[in-house]
Amino acid sequence: MSTTKEDVGRGSGNGRPRKRSRRLTTVTATPPVGTNANAKPTANAKPSARAKSAAETPPRAAAAAPAKRAIEPPPLSLLNRLRDAAGDAILGLDAFSPAFLRRIEDEVAAKLARAPMDLNAYGYDPWGLQADVVRRSMVISTLVYRYYFRVETRGAENLPSGRVLLIGNHAGQIALDAAMIAAAAFLEADPPRIVRGMGEYWLPRLPFLNVLMVRAGSVVGTPKNCVDLLDHGEAVIAFPEGVRGMNKSFTERYVLQEFGLGFLRLALETKTPIVPVAVVGSEEQAPSLGNWKTLARLLGMPAFPLVLAPVPLPVKYHIEFGAPMTFEGNPHDEDRVIGEMVEKVKSRIRRMMADGLARRKGVFL
Amino acid sequence: MQRLLITGISGGHGRLLAQRLRGSCEIVGVDRTPWEGRPKDITVHLADLRSHRVEDLFRRERPDAVVHLGLIRHDFDAILRHDVNVVATKRLLQYCADYGVEKVVVSTSSYVYGALPENPFYMDEDTALNVSRHYPEIRDLAEVDTLATAFLWRYPNIATAILRPVSTLGSNVQSSIGAYFKLPYVPTILGFDPLMQFIHESDLAEAMVAALERGARGVFNVVGPGAVPLGVAIREAGGTAVSLPEPLALFLLDRLFRYGWFPVPADAADFVKYPCTIDGRRFREATGFTPLLSLEETLQSVRI
Repeated sequence: MSTTKEDVGRGSGNGRPRKRSRRLTTVTATPPVGTNANAKPTANAKPSARAKSAAETPPRAAAAAPAKRAIEPPPLSLLNRLRDAAGDAILGLDAFSPAFLRRIEDEVAAKLARAPMDLNAYGYDPWGLQADVVRRSMVISTLVYRYYFRVETRGAENLPSGRVLLIGNHAGQIALDAAMIAAAAFLEADPPRIVRGMGEYWLPRLPFLNVLMVRAGSVVGTPKNCVDLLDHGEAVIAFPEGVRGMNKSFTERYVLQEFGLGFLRLALETKTPIVPVAVVGSEEQAPSLGNWKTLARLLGMPAFPLVLAPVPLPVKYHIEFGAPMTFEGNPHDEDRVIGEMVEKVKSRIRRMMADGLARRKGVFL
Repeated sequence: MQRLLITGISGGHGRLLAQRLRGSCEIVGVDRTPWEGRPKDITVHLADLRSHRVEDLFRRERPDAVVHLGLIRHDFDAILRHDVNVVATKRLLQYCADYGVEKVVVSTSSYVYGALPENPFYMDEDTALNVSRHYPEIRDLAEVDTLATAFLWRYPNIATAILRPVSTLGSNVQSSIGAYFKLPYVPTILGFDPLMQFIHESDLAEAMVAALERGARGVFNVVGPGAVPLGVAIREAGGTAVSLPEPLALFLLDRLFRYGWFPVPADAADFVKYPCTIDGRRFREATGFTPLLSLEETLQSVRI
């Protein structure tokens, strides 16, 4: 994606910056635009020059002239600039990041370069995804994936390279299960897939979060968005349990709640294979006494869980991608017919969850 | 198409369309204000679209195609605007049916869908017209659209095309969104940065020509070269985005709009918070229309 004809003959010749120099300016390794990767990072990759070089070429300005427009930081308000600076301080400044973080940044950047994306001249895809935000959030997800939840993933080879609908169990009060499935699909699948989330209808009302959600590749979970994304060959994740699953109480862990039928109608309509996903671990990460519905309604939130843990507990995650399931039929058939197909998906997830539970040694191990 | 009647011909869209079609057909225009320096082969009748002189015009000129651009926007009192737009459109459409017009093009706007948080990114033409839920000032636009749609179904022999173009930018056309992007410091709402679509005025004229030439019949979204976040669009158009917390922004913009110092009423704030992006597939398939100008050229045309 980031490799174009212009790159040939410049830099290392393979269109991508050399590994050695990539360590200097990780960000330029994947310019958010498909227009040019000839943002050849400086060749003076001497360790002593590292700090200086990083200061001279702030990550996003290091691109060559034609790329300038798409890559240079927007002249936005002071607040935005502060926010960018804070983001750079956490993720972008390679000079100050420890070696293991740099390795992860490199790995994410390399995978991102191989992940199929359809970016316009400004580096955004038709649904507002921005490669650089995906990269940053994937670095964080990878850290959580490897070192906090220590996720073990099976069946990543079941992810096809084209359109696919991932259907999983939903739990854990906040959508970390979605983030971990997305990280698994990005890190373990070949080619790396950027999973597009189907968000709750109230998320776009939240300041900042709505922008982050869209830039990282999620959309509001309307049927039209889902159909458009699938038609475009994307990997879409949906949790048919919705908040029923995510905000259920601890006593109902590993009990699948009622599945919505919409996802199956969309799969039939777009002839999309369904990959069932079972997540073990998320169900224990945030024990809850239940859902305070009155307060939720007062706050305009879909649910207000009474969570006992202040932060998600460091449980051990097991994720399994099942073999793709294809269904045929009339997408507008009555609920009973669609419900039977949904039940097949649900029982597959239930079985995979039971397997995962049997496999694990303990909640935290 | 022999004789084309363009309402609102002295406006930016009208002039562009007239100049584009000069020579290929006879062009008659009607507007309340004259078109200074118009080409000699274009006739402009001065009339209010609500007056009965418009019927005389149909009787005399016998146009076989009508493009209705004579809609007024924010510069006027809301009640007057509603009256002018809805009443005039209703009468005009009736004349089209009575005097044997074969093709009708009505251009409204993608704003008729409204900017709601739960909007899908690419709304198709079957989406409900929700604009009056949060932005009642332009419900007249939705009503004009509905009138035209009713007309489309009532007269199957007339090729009626209702175009719903995205935000139109350019130096000839006066639009609220154009005025907004022309500001040196463009107020936005803190924490929101929706995707927006744009089309250049000349591309919109081209889309109308395509609808006329193909005799397209139906309701069509008309999109330009793509979508970018609002912040990027402001930067590309040469302005500086100023993000304000929502309550402050709404208070300030409401005051400034009332004093005439700001082009858009505060109720329009939803359009810079939530997406109102549309799916242009149907029009592309019906007419083969694709915009000529890139997103970059379209955005940069704001300050030319």
